[in-house]
Amino acid sequence: MVTLATEPMKMTKPINNNQPPRILLAKIGLDGHDRGVKVLARSFRDAGIEVIYTGLWQTCEATMYAALQEDVDVVGVSLLSAAHLTVMPELLRLRKKLDIEHIPIILGGIVPNEDHAALAEMGVAAVFNPGSSVDDIVEKVKQLAAMHEPIQFKEVVVGYKARKQNALAKLITSVQRGESLDGFTPPVGDAVVIGVTGAPGVGKSSFIGKLGEELVSRGKRVAVLAIDPSSPITGGALLGDRLRMMSASPEREFFVRSLASGGAAGGLAAICPDVLKLLKGFGFDYILVETVGAGQGDVGIRELASHTLLVLMPDSGDAVQYSKAGIMEIATCFVLNKCDLNGADATQSQLISAVGDARPIFKTSTLKTEGIDRVADFIMTLS
Amino acid sequence: MSIEPGLGKSKRSTDDARGKPFVGPEDLRGYDPATALSVPGSFPFTRGVHRTMYRDKLWTMRQFAGFGSAADTNERFKYLLAHGTTGLSTAFDLPTLMGRDSDDPLALGEVGRCGVAVASLADMHVLYDGINLGEVSTSMTINAPAAIVLAFYVCVAKKQGVPLDQLRGTLQNDILKEFHAQNEYVFPPVPSVKLVVDTIEYCTQHMPLWNTVSVSGYHIREAGATAAEELAFTLADGMAYTQLSIERGLDVDAFAPRLSFFFDVHNDFFEEIAKLRAARRMWAHIMRDRFHAKHERSWKLRMHCQTAGVTLTEQQPMNNIMRVAYQAMAGVLGGTQSLHTNSMDETLALPTEGAAKVALRTQQILAHETSVPQVADPLGGSYFVEKMTDEIEAKAYAIIDQIDAMGGVLPAVDRGYFRRAIAESAQAEQRRIDGGAQKIVGVTDFVEEGTHDMEMLKISQDTEDEQVSKLKSIKANRDATKHQAALTRLRDDATQDKNVMPALIEAAEAEATVGEMMDTMKQVFGAYGGGPEW
Ligand code: B12
Ligand SMILES: Nc1nc2c(ncn2[C@@H]2O[C@H](COP(=O)(O)OP(=O)(O)OP(=O)(O)O)[C@@H](O)[C@H]2O)c(=O)[nH]1
Ligand SMILES: [Mg+2]
Repeated sequence: MVTLATEPMKMTKPINNNQPPRILLAKIGLDGHDRGVKVLARSFRDAGIEVIYTGLWQTCEATMYAALQEDVDVVGVSLLSAAHLTVMPELLRLRKKLDIEHIPIILGGIVPNEDHAALAEMGVAAVFNPGSSVDDIVEKVKQLAAMHEPIQFKEVVVGYKARKQNALAKLITSVQRGESLDGFTPPVGDAVVIGVTGAPGVGKSSFIGKLGEELVSRGKRVAVLAIDPSSPITGGALLGDRLRMMSASPEREFFVRSLASGGAAGGLAAICPDVLKLLKGFGFDYILVETVGAGQGDVGIRELASHTLLVLMPDSGDAVQYSKAGIMEIATCFVLNKCDLNGADATQSQLISAVGDARPIFKTSTLKTEGIDRVADFIMTLS
Repeated sequence: MSIEPGLGKSKRSTDDARGKPFVGPEDLRGYDPATALSVPGSFPFTRGVHRTMYRDKLWTMRQFAGFGSAADTNERFKYLLAHGTTGLSTAFDLPTLMGRDSDDPLALGEVGRCGVAVASLADMHVLYDGINLGEVSTSMTINAPAAIVLAFYVCVAKKQGVPLDQLRGTLQNDILKEFHAQNEYVFPPVPSVKLVVDTIEYCTQHMPLWNTVSVSGYHIREAGATAAEELAFTLADGMAYTQLSIERGLDVDAFAPRLSFFFDVHNDFFEEIAKLRAARRMWAHIMRDRFHAKHERSWKLRMHCQTAGVTLTEQQPMNNIMRVAYQAMAGVLGGTQSLHTNSMDETLALPTEGAAKVALRTQQILAHETSVPQVADPLGGSYFVEKMTDEIEAKAYAIIDQIDAMGGVLPAVDRGYFRRAIAESAQAEQRRIDGGAQKIVGVTDFVEEGTHDMEMLKISQDTEDEQVSKLKSIKANRDATKHQAALTRLRDDATQDKNVMPALIEAAEAEATVGEMMDTMKQVFGAYGGGPEW
């Protein structure tokens, strides 16, 4: 059963030592060739790897910030744009600057053989050209992931106390791996934990991305826990939420961590409370937890969070279904997202009658960045 | 709703036709050549859009080219024309394709590398310098900023003194497949298609010989779709543009003849031929029966084809010449109007002059030595090919029905239907390759150790540096008042939902850059971060 965020602060016992390898897959620059990277993302998932795909058009900074926060075992970059000799040195420079040199970077795509030596020289761990076998790639990723060094707790705890995000990221990894934290107990903190839930595709991640930015711009420290399902068969996962939150950065105190629901033995329930403790102790003001579907089978989000935002979209019929299923009751407020689409007003009136009390209903469009500020105003009244 | 991309997931799009060692008349149920085929040049054009096909006029050999600066590409164009290419096709670099100026931070390292850098009207003048736009037909592969590039082209023609109604060529301008496959979208889907309709409307009024949209299956297929998906998605996109243009108030017969199509020719020789034949038959019916077009010209699906880059290998790259030759022949047997053949160095970089020449020669050999073009649709009436044509057509119609059931292409884009279907097919193909079910010569089988020693085209960093400084000087020296006024007008016209073409032409003349015009429109239309991915 899920333990409450208000439980005693001592971290729970080791529970899991089969955390799957985690890879961040990145496309950098304006290159839109994504067939290969998506084939790999699925193949990795099917091979029992957790994949965080950060989507198209990323900068080197955002990619390495993501690698830092996610504390992945490997960063995989796909470049078919002939920009590798510009991009790779920049990534490696940032890797050093951010003090995450333990994370190997591998590269694939259109990379002429004659550039391989230079890339190896600068520190790229492996290069895969067209025609590479996916099995070989999977093998390499697993091999690199297995090489990760054990976490140096003393050092990391010092870093955590100094509010270094890479230390926080590593401690979360320890929890995922079920390693003992050497008796370390994070401070209690006073973060407001808010669950964000709703049917698949209503725009939860996009909304959190914008809300996070808004809160950060108001001087708040924001963390996000984005939870996606694992494949019950392979244990791998495609963690797709982060790609809508790529403005997160250590410099802006906007921390995003993706978790796979099955990543820990005993399921998410087993580690979520501890991860939350770490985030709270780090001193965030708001922790937003994204989960899919406020239904059965979902983590008892209510028990972890002090408030729940239910996200809906026009014409989805969710309001009606939710009120039948009794899900409406758990929400602190409602966010009717995608209001740039037709049918927003009609859905709003349905929602008003389904809610039947004074809980607020916000209309937003993350596409147009509309209505987010009003949700932020409301959030700032919560404690 | 429980509509999921599921159709066409088998190995091929034509399994039925191949269930037996040979196909005979008993396999063609209800086959009536008079209605299914007719004669070349007649409805439903299964056998080709012209009666005499290549006897009177060979296909256009149109090699996609563009790299480095506008001057570099201009030189390549002249080289290709000198070696017998019969139409130009312009490849832009990634910053231009994404509507960003060469000095945009995200353009770093990408200027001129994957195509030619065009940021302003000045670049466009250099690109077509010394090439008479009244004589050579030009195609331009650009989508999100297509309307802007069209505005540049109009300005260049005006300067050359060529009347707009004599301009022949094609603007790719197919934004829907960007959402499905190529990923060069900038604005959200609805304003994106509005821009396409703006160009259709403008060209219908001013540039009657210009192909306004090249409705493209190529990118969809290269991204992983099956042949049936390529066919269905492309025609569905064509239907969407048609519907929207009619809703704009245009007469279907005024614009439909200027919609053109662009297909991939992949490895599966007969299936590809069947696909091209089915495409014509389906489109003819769709235009006549669904959109009630009255003119025969509106029913004819004219197409450009390109050989399948994704089938080419880095290993033993000379083998690519053979792959391209077979694919090119399938395109011609399928009755294409225009063809690009890929170069053997496809997986290395943009083609060298030498590799591009072999690719062109491959077409010339096909045209002048093989006698393949002598008779229209030589495979017409083959039990096997007719069976395949029927089968792929049926599969494509079933997919189009699914799209209709979702409310059409735009709602299906919102749900991520196309992307998911394409990615799943790509994944299925990868599994077949990894599992040994699909062989690739030189990669999975007949492997050789060692690497090739093929020459490679290199684009130096100087291109970027020069382009950026040229752009900076344009920005510094233009008439700021005129420039500002033009962008203000563009914003106003976009806000008031007017056709933006006149404002874009004014802005082009006022030396506004691609990036500036795009940013102005972004203020009104918003920017799109992409639809559902998994
Ligand atoms: C398919 C394709 C397209 C499709 C892309 C569809 C899509 N959504 O992905 C379409 C038709 C849309 C397209 C468009 C363009 N393309 Co293109 N395209 C290709 C092509 C033919 C195959 C790429 C591919 O998908 N292969 C199949 C996948 C499965 O393989 P892969 O990506 O190579 O991945 C394998 C390995 O490389 C490796 N790998 C790849 N990434 C990673 C990452 C990691 C971490 C690891 C470990 C391994 C790894 O593992 C994979 C399995 O073996 C290549 C040439 C070629 N044959 O390689 C040109 C190519 C990449 N394209 C090119 C160009 C120029 C373009 C355009 C700019 C053309 C233009 N001017 O309009 C546009 C730009 C599109 C965009 N938005 O970026 C050039 C790039 C030139 C260069 N780098 O110097 C190429 C090389 C062709 C050429 N020679 O001209 N293209
Ligand atoms: N029109 C419109 N589309 C939106 C809006 N917000 C998000 N979307 C789109 O909705 C799709 C899903 O967005 P996500 O943010 O990934 O939704 P999600 O609820 O987190 O999805 P899952 O985590 O997969 O359940 C994407 O294609 C977004 O571009 C919006 O305000 N308007
Ligand atoms: Mg999400």
